[in-house]
Amino acid sequence: MSETQMQETAPVAQRDNTKLAMWVFLGGEAVFFVSLILLIVFTRLTHTDYNAQFRGYLSIPIIALNTFVLVTSSYFVVRALESIAYKDDPKALRNNMIGVIILGLLFLGGQAFEWSELFKEGVNLSSTYGTPFFTVTGIHGTHVFVGILWAIYLLFGHRRTPFTKANHLGIENFGLYWHFVDIVWIVLFTLIYLI
Amino acid sequence: METEKRPNYLYIFIALAVFTLVETLVSYVQQEAIKVSTLVILSVIKVLLVLLYFMHLKTDSKVYSYLFIAGCVLSIPLILVLTVVMPMLG
Repeated sequence: MSETQMQETAPVAQRDNTKLAMWVFLGGEAVFFVSLILLIVFTRLTHTDYNAQFRGYLSIPIIALNTFVLVTSSYFVVRALESIAYKDDPKALRNNMIGVIILGLLFLGGQAFEWSELFKEGVNLSSTYGTPFFTVTGIHGTHVFVGILWAIYLLFGHRRTPFTKANHLGIENFGLYWHFVDIVWIVLFTLIYLI
Repeated sequence: METEKRPNYLYIFIALAVFTLVETLVSYVQQEAIKVSTLVILSVIKVLLVLLYFMHLKTDSKVYSYLFIAGCVLSIPLILVLTVVMPMLG
């Protein structure tokens, strides 16, 4: 069967399948991150000295700023998608994606600064609160790093088949991933830093 | 992305930024009950704003919503293991 015939007879268009797969992946990621978040909750519930032993070392204003950076990056992703899916403007897409990469790197820089400050204070990977904290924020940071690599690929490695108004699903799927990472951070920001 | 009706994403972004600022200020409140309940509510609102508008779940096919909710529901056994089974085992 030729490719054209397959497209004509396929019950669901191929481009929708990749988006469906992305949501299946995000569903799996939700299970993974909820279990990690539960690790934090469980540690908080079973140890009553969290504020005295750990929270005092955390710099809320710096992390609030970092949270703002990640939320802003999500806005840039939406702008990137809108610029190609509705306005068919590849230049605006490129500019917004560069913004996402810069903001993602800023977020990771902020997290690296926070970690270095905690290490200076003697909080390490083997401490009661250090283990869940570094595990969860480290895995989240890795997701941000993967997102940055993905954005770089979309920006520079996709020149043979450039994104257009009719072909923008690659940007949309990336956006879903990036927003999910943002959601996870919104929850972590509240659970680890604010409560 | 299935309908042409689009929200104003700038307003959503401003709301997320303002809620983040409010959350940060509320975290310095001394009364735990007020602090925790406010922070949880604001956090849920922020998550819903991103899911419904930035990720387009409000206008997209419901199948995507069900898949995501299924992922969260599948976490319930983990919650039960941590909160019920593990304390019983000591």
